[in-house]
Amino acid sequence: MTHVQSFQEDCIALAHEKLARGQMTRRQFNAALAALGALGGAGAMSGHANAQTAKEVVFVNWGGVANEAFGKYYGKPFEEKNPGVKVVMDSSGPTTGKIRAMVESKKVTWDTCDGSVTSGILLGGLGMLEPIDYNIVKKSDILPGFAYPYTVGPYSFSNVMIYDSSKFGNDPPKTWVDFFDLKKYPGKRMLRRDANCMFETLLMGDGVAMDKVYPIDVKRGLEVLKKIRKEAVYWNSGSESEQLMRTGEATIGVLWNTRAKVLHEETKGRITWTWNQGILQPAAFPILKGNPAGALAQQFIASCCANVEAQVGLLGFFANGPTNPRAAEKVPDDLKKFNPTDPANAKVQLIFDGEWWGKNYTEVNQQYLDTIAS
Amino acid sequence: MAASSPAKAPRMRGDQLRRFYWLLVMPAVLMMVGLYFFPLAKVLWISVTEPVPGIGNYAKLITSESVHKVLIVTLRICVITTAVTLVLGYVLSYAMVQAKGAWLRGLTFFVLLPLWISVLVRAFSWVTLLRSNGVINQALLSAGVISEPLTLLRNEFGVIVGMVHYMVPFAVLPLYSNMRGIDLRLIAAARLLGASPWRAFRRIFLPLSLPGVVASGVLVFIFSMGFYVTPALLGGGRVFMIAEYIGVQITQTINWGLGTMLATLLLVCILTLMALLGRIVDMRKLFGAA
Repeated sequence: MTHVQSFQEDCIALAHEKLARGQMTRRQFNAALAALGALGGAGAMSGHANAQTAKEVVFVNWGGVANEAFGKYYGKPFEEKNPGVKVVMDSSGPTTGKIRAMVESKKVTWDTCDGSVTSGILLGGLGMLEPIDYNIVKKSDILPGFAYPYTVGPYSFSNVMIYDSSKFGNDPPKTWVDFFDLKKYPGKRMLRRDANCMFETLLMGDGVAMDKVYPIDVKRGLEVLKKIRKEAVYWNSGSESEQLMRTGEATIGVLWNTRAKVLHEETKGRITWTWNQGILQPAAFPILKGNPAGALAQQFIASCCANVEAQVGLLGFFANGPTNPRAAEKVPDDLKKFNPTDPANAKVQLIFDGEWWGKNYTEVNQQYLDTIAS
Repeated sequence: MAASSPAKAPRMRGDQLRRFYWLLVMPAVLMMVGLYFFPLAKVLWISVTEPVPGIGNYAKLITSESVHKVLIVTLRICVITTAVTLVLGYVLSYAMVQAKGAWLRGLTFFVLLPLWISVLVRAFSWVTLLRSNGVINQALLSAGVISEPLTLLRNEFGVIVGMVHYMVPFAVLPLYSNMRGIDLRLIAAARLLGASPWRAFRRIFLPLSLPGVVASGVLVFIFSMGFYVTPALLGGGRVFMIAEYIGVQITQTINWGLGTMLATLLLVCILTLMALLGRIVDMRKLFGAA
């Protein structure tokens, strides 16, 4: 994992770490999944019996435990509802480059995948994705701001500010302006080595109001970056972001809420996070142009978006937020503070504008990487 | 040289034999052409067709500041890495040539040992050693040598340390094989004729070992240009080398025109260096053929 790791890849790494640390045994994990799978009753078995002649939906993910989790939370419920259909989990890693190569070669074997909003706009703009059919995927199953023309997803995550509270007494940093205040809050800052969501951080850090962040003023963001870059460390992967905070190399940082939860629990709240001005974004399942399963893939995505129980289950496992508006109230109280889309948490966050990023990512990311490197 | 000359009848047999040999390697050649060179050419072709047909991507070699920066950084790191690796590799090889028995076995073992350890493990070990609150800084701080932690990581220094560590075995192997071929009695003869140890080394041993130095240098330099993992981990985002730059263009931002242009450039540089190397040293000897 030497490239900049995507959120999805990180979930797998995170789950592996949890299993490895014994915070969750594989047996517990499987038992939880089995309980969930049992919701559909005995139909599951007969569905499998027909699998050989059945239609398939191929869902590509980033491998590892996520392959298993997505299979149980997303694949299995769909198979149970649609006897004769098999959801095939493929863990070969759907990078933007691979999707493009596959669609251009006209030998599409994938239906949908665990992609990103930005890459969805990028590929959709190149005509390489099927638009999401919102007659099949119900908009009422999706929180506002999470449905895109080419992607929609059944979970969400947020880029939040993490800090070591032991360093700042009873006046911890609360906003991105505090984040960039090196005098008041000494220590290294931790940023992600990818422009996505970092420009939002940079601009809010320069005092831009949350509702004025988009369209992003790239020049201004780069100026803010230039002021901080010598005092910053950058992460490529989620585990790296965790490690930089854990070892104390950075005192404040931006990372994914899934990682914030791990650090918070591990340090009993010494290292903790704020939802305030977090940048909240949905998962993005695109459908590849000319996909073999056709409209069945739309139905699969619709089923994931409608399945409230599975979304709450995944929140408990990965801290991925549900995207179904009816899910938040089903979340157990002790999990609510970890849920990025809990109404109390969501209202203080900025909703990521994938449209802007899809149009500008290629250019802006390069500028971001170049500025860090100089 | 493969052209046959029917006028010379006695050579016919040799030519026939040669044709037979070509026939034998033909399946392998066809496979390489079909499964390697053709797809490779197709990929490189993208560099002149995207985003619009023409040499726009190659113009970026002159116009794009971002491309300049990555080329300069890559070149600088490769040159420094090669130089440091050659010095260390030379000293080690020289010691190995002089050593015997258990010493030689020990040296060889420790030179080869890093080759069996994953590049990731090695990079992370360096992170543990070099980071601001890492082993080296802690030791220096507590010994009172420094008062502020040194920045040894997330910069070019850290990357070069990691790369040199990786490359030393690759420098030692050709150097050692070259040095072993040098008749050490020549040194003894020079000493007998009154040369100082340094003079004997400088005038006799060093010139004789130069082919090894050149071969090692070119090999190390070529390898260095393709480094991806080590700069990404030890550079902490601040050191952006060409391989990673290409990776971003291909997988993340799907700016394939630019990515394939740089890949073409890299390939041309490497082939040129290989061709130069081929003129200076016997490649077959270098890669172990007797």
